[in-house]
Amino acid sequence: MKRLVLLLIAPMVLWAQPEFFGYFESEADIMQLGGQRYSFGYNKLRLDVEARPSDNILIGANLTAQSYRGRTTWNLFDFLPEHAWLTSPYFDPASSSISEAPEIPFSLQDTLFLNNMYLKLSLGLLDLTLGRQQISPGVGYAWNPTDIFNTKTLMDPSYEQPGVSAIRMELPLRDRLTLSAIFQPKEDSYHSTEQFGVKTGLGSFDFEFTVAEYLAADFSPQSMGALKSQKALVGGSIIGEIMEWGVWFEGAQFTHVYNDDYNETVLGVDHTFDNSVYVLFEYLHNESGVTDKAGLTFFDYVYALEGSKHSLMQDYTFLYLMHPTFDYVSLSALAITNFNDNSGTFAPQLDWNAFEDTNISIQGSLFWGEDDTEFGLQDWGVRLRLRSDF
Amino acid sequence: MRLKNPLLLLLLTSTLCAQSDLAHTIMVAVTDIMSPVNMYNVGTQTITTSSGKERTFEMESWSANKGEKSLTRYTKPAAIRGQAFLMLNNADDIWTYFPRTKRVRKLASHAKKQKVQGSDFTYEDMGGGDTFLTQFKSSYVGKEEREGVSCHKIELTGIPSEDPPYPKMTLWARDSDYFPISIDYYNDKGQNHKSLTLSDIQTIENFPTAMTMVMTNHLERSSTLMKTVEATYAWEPPKGFFTERNLKK
Repeated sequence: MKRLVLLLIAPMVLWAQPEFFGYFESEADIMQLGGQRYSFGYNKLRLDVEARPSDNILIGANLTAQSYRGRTTWNLFDFLPEHAWLTSPYFDPASSSISEAPEIPFSLQDTLFLNNMYLKLSLGLLDLTLGRQQISPGVGYAWNPTDIFNTKTLMDPSYEQPGVSAIRMELPLRDRLTLSAIFQPKEDSYHSTEQFGVKTGLGSFDFEFTVAEYLAADFSPQSMGALKSQKALVGGSIIGEIMEWGVWFEGAQFTHVYNDDYNETVLGVDHTFDNSVYVLFEYLHNESGVTDKAGLTFFDYVYALEGSKHSLMQDYTFLYLMHPTFDYVSLSALAITNFNDNSGTFAPQLDWNAFEDTNISIQGSLFWGEDDTEFGLQDWGVRLRLRSDF
Repeated sequence: MRLKNPLLLLLLTSTLCAQSDLAHTIMVAVTDIMSPVNMYNVGTQTITTSSGKERTFEMESWSANKGEKSLTRYTKPAAIRGQAFLMLNNADDIWTYFPRTKRVRKLASHAKKQKVQGSDFTYEDMGGGDTFLTQFKSSYVGKEEREGVSCHKIELTGIPSEDPPYPKMTLWARDSDYFPISIDYYNDKGQNHKSLTLSDIQTIENFPTAMTMVMTNHLERSSTLMKTVEATYAWEPPKGFFTERNLKK
């Protein structure tokens, strides 16, 4: 499908007058983890091109070059507590020592890749988008149970998501009634993804109902290993307001061959006070998460890290506060709590719009909880990010 | 004070009623002249902060049904290029679109009072419609010269049950055509915290149009200058223009 999209897109971009824009981003991080201090970071250049050969066609693509610095090779087990090692297929009790972590090294390689490349056709009422495109379903801020395409970073949930190769259709039937469908065709229907949705509105509320079928990895208790199989999702979302507070709900029920059905729900509220303080709060309940840290396996961590599960454990809250304190300077803070292992993080942040298209942000993070908990594993961190758009 | 003379009471009451009627008549004219059926506008917005720093934005905006529906899309600077907001029902319902994440977010009504891109305009200020008539009670103060122009001065008092954007406003409308050239906005403490000045008024397609608008925030000592670069009232919204689908385009 990629070749077909490329064949369609390339000539059109050449004769349409394309617009170029993008950004340069540089990030430097320091992290204190298990008594060790690491420094790492990256430089990233994203070049976007958009062309509109006619009113009904939009062609978009972006090329991203990213180079890493500092520590670029990591051991996955550095991010897992010791009790998770024991359930890992990489841990051999006969030859390994519990005091020494097994190794699953992974390296961050400098990359140059097409992050998005799509063609959007407006055929009367129907919008059809073909190719690698950003898809961001759901109304939740930190978590989106109905999102089967992306993995969010809790420390920065609004960061852009990578493109997804798909065919997407949107058919607005009325002003606030839209049908949508997303297909990710693979070699056969078993490996493909289909998602259908209907979005409508009533008064100050928007409602969305969605169903999906996709291939997902999950832990199989029978074989103590990872198995891929078709998973089904039935879910929806509501967003609106009550007493001038923004309120939203997003939830989904998942069915899977190897595990019991489970539900995942997010409840959120937000408000801006008269003194310009903005507050956002979300609560996640994810039944696929583990309730007791003693029950965590290596696979739980892997699936949470790679996004097959939206969270490692069951109950979390996310709190975000922001205030535009000075000219072009805003102060904010986020706090995440895992209620199942009593760990969490508090991360204050300063954002400075130093020049018209240049933003500098510094985020500190303090973690609490015992050493074998999700957040307590790490001690503290600092992130400095500079971004300049053009 | 007790009025002992019934004739004086009658005269005073009828004068007050007449002035109230006059104020209402003027506000109907102001609303009419300020709310063309449809509009397309290209403009710039320059924010000057209390420390004198400036940021300039460029945007396109469309409105229909006398401002009841509007869509604004930023074209510059690069950092916010493509960001857009859709307002329906006189800004009671607001959706924003963030091109970086391709997300549309519905904002709750508390957001109406938020500054748009850090400017001195709120979403509510940008909304149109018949807000002056439905959310305020008007009273005629008298004739007054403003910026060298003879004006009618009207005081607008918010009707609490209608959730007005400000508890009180004072408006100066030109004698000649009722086009407003100045508005003072008051906060809950009775302070005049913002003032809007409309100038360089040109007639475009029979509608007087302020090519320059300055909103000054007296408390934060900041100001926002909005300049109209291009405007037309002949634009007709295509079907489905004020929808989430078009917001994302």
